[in-house]
Amino acid sequence: MKKLLLLALTSLLAACGQSTDVTLYVALDQEHSEALVRRFEDESVLRVNVRFDTEASKTVGLVSAIVSEKDRPRCDVFWNNELAHTVSLGQKGLLEPYASPAAAAIPSAFKAEDGMWTGFAARARILIVNTDKLGADRSAWPTSIEDFADPKWKGRCAIARPLTGTTLTHFAALRFALGEERFGAWLDAIQDNVVWLQSNGATMRQTADPDSEIAFALTDTDDFHVALLKGHAVGAVFPDQAEGGLGTMLIPNSVAVVRGGPHPEAARKLVDFIASEQVEGLLAASKSAQIPVRSSVKGPESAWILGIDEFRPMVWDAGEVASNLAELSAQFGQRYGGSR
Amino acid sequence: MDRFRDVLARLPLALAVGFGVLCVVLPLGAMLSETVYGPDGFTLEPWATILATDVDRQQILASVGLGVVAVAVAIVFGFGHAWLTTATDLPGARVLGPLGIAPLVIPPILVAMGFADFAPASGFWFCALLLGTSYAPFVAVMTARGLRAVDGRGYEAAMLSRGRGPAERLLLRSILPEIVAGCLFAFLFVISEHGVPEFLTVKGKAWHTYAEGVFGRWTRRATGVAHEDIVSPIVAAVPLIVITALALFVALRFRAHSALRSDFRPLPVRALGVWRFPALVLPATYLTCGVGVPIFVMLRWAMGSTQTREPMSVDILRRSFRGAIEQSGDDLSYTLLLALLTTAILLAVSIPAARVAARRFPAIDHLAVLPVAVPAVLLAIGFVKVFNSPAAGAVYDAVGYDLYDSMGVVGCAYAARFLPFGVLTLSQAVRRLPRSAEDAALLSGRSSLACGLRIHLPALAPAIWSVACLAFVLAARELDVAVVLPAGNDTVVRRLSNIVHFGGEDAGGALALILLVAVTSLPILTVLLTGRKLRPLS
Repeated sequence: MKKLLLLALTSLLAACGQSTDVTLYVALDQEHSEALVRRFEDESVLRVNVRFDTEASKTVGLVSAIVSEKDRPRCDVFWNNELAHTVSLGQKGLLEPYASPAAAAIPSAFKAEDGMWTGFAARARILIVNTDKLGADRSAWPTSIEDFADPKWKGRCAIARPLTGTTLTHFAALRFALGEERFGAWLDAIQDNVVWLQSNGATMRQTADPDSEIAFALTDTDDFHVALLKGHAVGAVFPDQAEGGLGTMLIPNSVAVVRGGPHPEAARKLVDFIASEQVEGLLAASKSAQIPVRSSVKGPESAWILGIDEFRPMVWDAGEVASNLAELSAQFGQRYGGSR
Repeated sequence: MDRFRDVLARLPLALAVGFGVLCVVLPLGAMLSETVYGPDGFTLEPWATILATDVDRQQILASVGLGVVAVAVAIVFGFGHAWLTTATDLPGARVLGPLGIAPLVIPPILVAMGFADFAPASGFWFCALLLGTSYAPFVAVMTARGLRAVDGRGYEAAMLSRGRGPAERLLLRSILPEIVAGCLFAFLFVISEHGVPEFLTVKGKAWHTYAEGVFGRWTRRATGVAHEDIVSPIVAAVPLIVITALALFVALRFRAHSALRSDFRPLPVRALGVWRFPALVLPATYLTCGVGVPIFVMLRWAMGSTQTREPMSVDILRRSFRGAIEQSGDDLSYTLLLALLTTAILLAVSIPAARVAARRFPAIDHLAVLPVAVPAVLLAIGFVKVFNSPAAGAVYDAVGYDLYDSMGVVGCAYAARFLPFGVLTLSQAVRRLPRSAEDAALLSGRSSLACGLRIHLPALAPAIWSVACLAFVLAARELDVAVVLPAGNDTVVRRLSNIVHFGGEDAGGALALILLVAVTSLPILTVLLTGRKLRPLS
């Protein structure tokens, strides 16, 4: 019994205090980011204190922690799996500008002009299609987000409620890309046509499920790729690629140095690593099949997931979206039964 | 020497008060102060938004409705299970009894996800059934606690003089404080649950709960810069606190009275007669819904039910377990250690607080419920504000130990969150103890500490063990606090949540099963090692 207590006490003390060289908050799934962090540790000989987020917590976890810790920052580097919340942190004055030399080859559209954040390894907002339900003839497949308003798909298409995550960012970006009036009309048109689900994962599962009526849904490329790996009969459509069309929304990972973080030098080294070609390549090859924003980096293996030069991305202003995200989130909450 | 003894005697209570101030009053106070101090000074403007829209009002009604129906389910399962396994000669009661706590181990969101894989699962009634079953252990634990604390002589006297009906009614009245407390806990957890109602949105869900609404507001706080955005989720929690206060007001109308005496006799074990085996249907149904179905869906996951590349097989099951252990072995030991730490802190705080609540300041019962009345995220962010403040930083620098970055702060946050389980359960138990022994001890010059150690602790041992088991199980599955506090990062439930989200249901199912076995082994081992002395459901 005494030995057991001693062991517990030793473990407790060991768990209580461990010195670190740099602290990283990661919103990208632990399954993909953890191995990369360990690789950085091996290469740099720096010890990384890494904190992961959960999908369940959405933005409540790490972003809230960074905001709440602003009087005494603990985080050195924030690696977000999307962009809007990172931009928002920059607008709140919680980030430090840093133009990483490792990101020199990243197109300027994926970097903040003031150096507050660097974008890399993106996910596209695509239509996941059940190929058994819709058949092999691709001309019969939906091709645009406008198809969610088409009565012929009523009850057969799904979107996650735009209250958090990439769907919120996507809807917020659509609000500015389409204009207020056209966006409002689109929302009205899809309101009763679409089955509103909890998350992109749920839309993917419902589409893949042979017993579900859902034939296609809006989701992210990483969720689509999981369905593909599991052997489901699914295909991907990069929407709105027609001449004059809106284009496909692309949401990159983003990395930023937190203002006032305890280890600024190590933070920059870590940002250099995360924004490197090597990491983009590894993320493209991983289960999440992220799309490299550098055309020089090899993209995902799957032919369904197009390379950065193979489709037309939607143009959106991350700063504009981030500035209005709180207000739009409240509006969507009223409409879709969530926040206000 | 006397002075030292006085100080020592007051130390447990002083520590409990200190904990209450540091881990409940200050964090919640810090969050409250945010709502009333805007950029232009004092303001009550955000408070005007509370329940201001039809959507909010519909959601709060939906939450209360869900809570009431789920509690009804919890009473059927929890009360029935406790009654049959504690007070009757049900076959296998000794084994079935401690299993009653098991449904609490697996987070209901995983059960909902797993269930949805093989059967249509959606809507209000399914949600109420699922949550009612998941939180029925609160009613089971508290009911069993009450049944074991009732003096059997009163019941026997009523039976002899007035017959079975009045005797049963008398018994029911005697254990009503515990049943109501269990229902209160179940109700609070159901109305603050946002994940399950949100998940069950599948196909045309037309209702949303208030907790879903509050959770969604955190996005506004994270992205907004206006004061109204930042405090939105905090003021939105006020209706939940009001509902809790009302529920608590009702619950505390039923306070336990002294029952234990030196010649105390436990309730007679009643013979079920011809119903002995048919009565197994209720515990069997409860454990099937609360434990069997989760185990079944997790096993299906672990055997590869969510992929179509190869048929489900034992080989995949083996791979899933291997993957789960490789990924999460350290997290599992960290979680169990954290659960033990939480349990230790909770007991250290609850025992002195409950003694004072029972004998001198009943208002402590009300105050103790506050941490569970607010959303867990709100309490956790309050913790960040207090334990990562510049003042706290100066203390850490001075003592050379950073509490904020340690398991200690997570243990404290969990213990604060679960405070009502400790204080309410133990204060009801203390009220059942006769005052005569304490009075005699104090009159003979014994200190309050000696009185607590020699008189209260031995008599409270079964109740303390109930609290310990509940705290251990709840700490092992807590997620909302863990996602905000950095040191909560290494818990199994957080990893489980991540694994399952990204299509890792196979390893996730295996990990959930490992967690279930690891956590339920504590109450089951207790029964095996201590026999009848300590029962987790007592």
